[in-house]
Amino acid sequence: MAIHDAIAQVTTPAKRTVRPSWMRILHSRTAIVGLVLVLFWVLAALLAPILPLPSPTDSDVLAMTNPYPSAAHWLGTDILGRDVLARLIFGARTVLSVAPLSVAVAMVVGITIGMIAGYYGGWLDALISRFSDIILAFPVLVIYVILIANIGPSVFNIVIATTVASAPGIGRITRGLVLGLKEQEYIAAAKLRGESTIYIMLVELLPNCRSLLIVDACLRIGYTIITIGILGFLGLGLPPPNPDWGGMVKESVTVLNVWPHMSLIPSFALVTLVLGFNLLADGMREAWKP
Amino acid sequence: MNILASNLQGAAMSITPMIDQAPVLDIRNLCIEFRGKAETVVAIPDLSFCVKPGESYGLVGESGCGKSTTAMAIMGYLGSTGVIANGSIRFNGKELVGASARELRSIRGRQIAMVYQDPMSALNPVKTIGAQLAEVPLLHLGATKAEAIAMAEAMLADVRLPDPGDMLKRYPHQLSGGQQQRVVIAMALLAKPSLLLLDEPTTGLDVTVEAAVIDLIAELRQRYSTSLLFISHNLGLIAESCDRLGIMYSGEMVEEGMTGEVFRRPRHPYTRGLIDCIPDIASDKRSRALAAIPGHIPLPSERPVGCLFAPRCASFSAGQCDQPGLRLEEADEGHLVRCPRWQEIPDASQAQAPRHTERGEPETAIALSEVSRLYAIGYQKTVKANEAISFDAARAEIVALVGESGCGKSTLARIVTGLDKATSGEIRLAGDNIAELQARERPRKMLQQIQMIFQNPDSTLNPSHSAAFSIRRSIKKFGIRKGKAEIEKRVRELLAMVRLSPAVADRKPSQLSGGQKQRIAIARAFAADPTLIVADEPVSALDVSVQAAIVTLLLDIQREKHATMLFISHDLSLVRHVADKVVVMYLGKIMEQGSVEEVFGEGAHPYTEALLSAIRSPHPDEAPRERIRLSGETPSPINVPAGCRFATRCHRKVGSICDTVAPPLRRMSETHEIACHIEEDELAARPSVLARPGKA
Repeated sequence: MAIHDAIAQVTTPAKRTVRPSWMRILHSRTAIVGLVLVLFWVLAALLAPILPLPSPTDSDVLAMTNPYPSAAHWLGTDILGRDVLARLIFGARTVLSVAPLSVAVAMVVGITIGMIAGYYGGWLDALISRFSDIILAFPVLVIYVILIANIGPSVFNIVIATTVASAPGIGRITRGLVLGLKEQEYIAAAKLRGESTIYIMLVELLPNCRSLLIVDACLRIGYTIITIGILGFLGLGLPPPNPDWGGMVKESVTVLNVWPHMSLIPSFALVTLVLGFNLLADGMREAWKP
Repeated sequence: MNILASNLQGAAMSITPMIDQAPVLDIRNLCIEFRGKAETVVAIPDLSFCVKPGESYGLVGESGCGKSTTAMAIMGYLGSTGVIANGSIRFNGKELVGASARELRSIRGRQIAMVYQDPMSALNPVKTIGAQLAEVPLLHLGATKAEAIAMAEAMLADVRLPDPGDMLKRYPHQLSGGQQQRVVIAMALLAKPSLLLLDEPTTGLDVTVEAAVIDLIAELRQRYSTSLLFISHNLGLIAESCDRLGIMYSGEMVEEGMTGEVFRRPRHPYTRGLIDCIPDIASDKRSRALAAIPGHIPLPSERPVGCLFAPRCASFSAGQCDQPGLRLEEADEGHLVRCPRWQEIPDASQAQAPRHTERGEPETAIALSEVSRLYAIGYQKTVKANEAISFDAARAEIVALVGESGCGKSTLARIVTGLDKATSGEIRLAGDNIAELQARERPRKMLQQIQMIFQNPDSTLNPSHSAAFSIRRSIKKFGIRKGKAEIEKRVRELLAMVRLSPAVADRKPSQLSGGQKQRIAIARAFAADPTLIVADEPVSALDVSVQAAIVTLLLDIQREKHATMLFISHDLSLVRHVADKVVVMYLGKIMEQGSVEEVFGEGAHPYTEALLSAIRSPHPDEAPRERIRLSGETPSPINVPAGCRFATRCHRKVGSICDTVAPPLRRMSETHEIACHIEEDELAARPSVLARPGKA
């Protein structure tokens, strides 16, 4: 049939420049600034053991009388004569492993409950949503303090506290996305193929939630870093002598008037890292705007 | 003026344009660009046309041809990236390009008004209708508040909304779509503009409501002597309501002329293609095949040199059509065409229908009896989506389900496929009752037998996966082929079947056009080797030229595979073209069913008559048809009328019996049934609205 032959020839689609989505992030200036800040700390944390740094836990007794920055201690020493730069960089190791780990666990739990609530709806949704509402009604910090104060400060317990505090929020985002996506025709097509519910959730729904969830995870890592800092400041951080930014501020806050660098430098580090994650999240949101 | 009996077919709507007067709107060499960060897109390279005082000018074209961009440019709403790079837009002699914001503000709304496609987004949801309407005279005419309200009320009466006083106090969401669009029209007319822009004003409305809105526009135009710029993709509507029209293609005007002249003697191959690919209500699939235009509209970045239509044109001639600088030539007085070969191209011969092989003894493929679907909402309230639906389909037969939105046709499709389940009734498929089995409860063999083609090309494929992903999955899941190589081979076969190159398989849906996505969806449905295909409005979201290609393809495959098909559509012309059997539904009940000849022939249900008469034909030479106008709107499915569902709007009501007693089934023939209180003889005696000339 002449018509069909003609149609067959015209198969060139509307060509649009579609770059891989991770590359598209680099078109956003915001994202680049965020990425640079985050990568700076990630690299510092990774290279910490091979960098020519003094030990973060050993005291330099000589420096205790003059803790200001010097050739031996670039950012000075703290109240016990420990090198601030070394403690900062080793502290980054802690914060950059605990925060992403906690958020990852919270994401798994949150996405699971959100998927179930959004996909099944009904009483299951009502139950999950109401329970989430109750947790979300507490200030995040209160949850952390109550939990950590009861079960004691450790990496594992921080992961648990983060999961309890963040999973309901992640669940709510996922639920909202799934509510819209499950009405799409490709989901109906999958049901008519007899696909299992697990398959529909993981293969048909989850990839379409990806971009929003990654942005959210990025923001949450930032929040969690702040929270871990606050816990450290409240004395609920990781037990000493592990370097911990929040703990560094707490130890030296009493001498803020005399030696301000001891508490301001770790505070500044915290700010740059959190800002980095927030800018990165903003940039990704911008780049992946539908 | 008796609106119910008035006949407005053809150019009867026109009031003689005052040709010698200076044009109201004069667009010359308009060039519109969208300047993004990365690239500049030339939406409209060079466009000129004018609208004369009192004239109704139609701008026709498929999506992406730049017709709405033109309207936005006239209103000065191109957004932050849109730039008028060249040319002029003169309104009553006044240049709008480069005019200050203050000057534009005094013209917009006051002298040029616009009616948008989606009335819900044109109305402010938190303000009452009265407050929104009164704003116009308050701002533009310096009226006092009391005067403004009085004017608003009078205008609401003019647009034939019932009880205008009460209407003023309502909020937009309390009105139906048709009523909202009337309010938007009222708002546009309140300032008595000299030019009214209508951008697809009826696209979202049901056919019977659309007919009423179009008649209203015609009537108001006469009364207010406003010039109209009517933008639409619907040739039938334009043919009926415009004096002159311009056909746009990829940002360029390809043909312009008086409406009758252009439709009678279309000169440009694109115009001819457009007219040929519209299914004609007077012919079925046995008498005429739909002529499709191959390919798709080029994106602004891929426009060819010379004639923009050349890549899709059958009469393409190298050295002639690919030369730059093609001009609009005058074919007749006032009839312009941009084609270097318009004198040589022969009249398009109508595509011949493929030979129809007679089937043997019909074997029932699926039978529905007394299927009902009720949704309980809240306390003691039920939505009756479907009630006592009974019909059957023979093997390899195409049964069309027709009706306006809310008639329950999509619910029925979902029940048949198992995406929803019936509250009661039986659906027999190869001996099994599947009415209350949902997809996850159906065995694999049963799932395989019924596959579905969906309506929306943008949601039919998962944007995260490649185009062939779901086809592959379907083959694997139903075990049609085993082994990776065999499955890939089958995927290529299926793609070839829907006339797509194998290269398409690995593309993401975002890289495909609407027509291509719908082809993939067809391939996916047939990948399971089903015996029954449920197609829910498979082409309603596509452009007309693409629509024809997809329908033809679907019919070819269906015939080849001997698959039974439930074809759901609101487009009666298309149904006439596609179906063997037609089931007309209204508010969840079947009004009429019969073979396509019977339903479209003499002796029809009053609702079918109304639906048929609402269809606009782009053929100006056709004898004018009687127009049946339905009063009111479809009642809510929560409060269905006690007797005949259609009684509240029926133009042939017998009496109070219609309101109280459910109508009996009138058996007109072995296959033809009508649910109506009117006697068989009387029903049969009435000739078809398609054949009946209207009262002039």
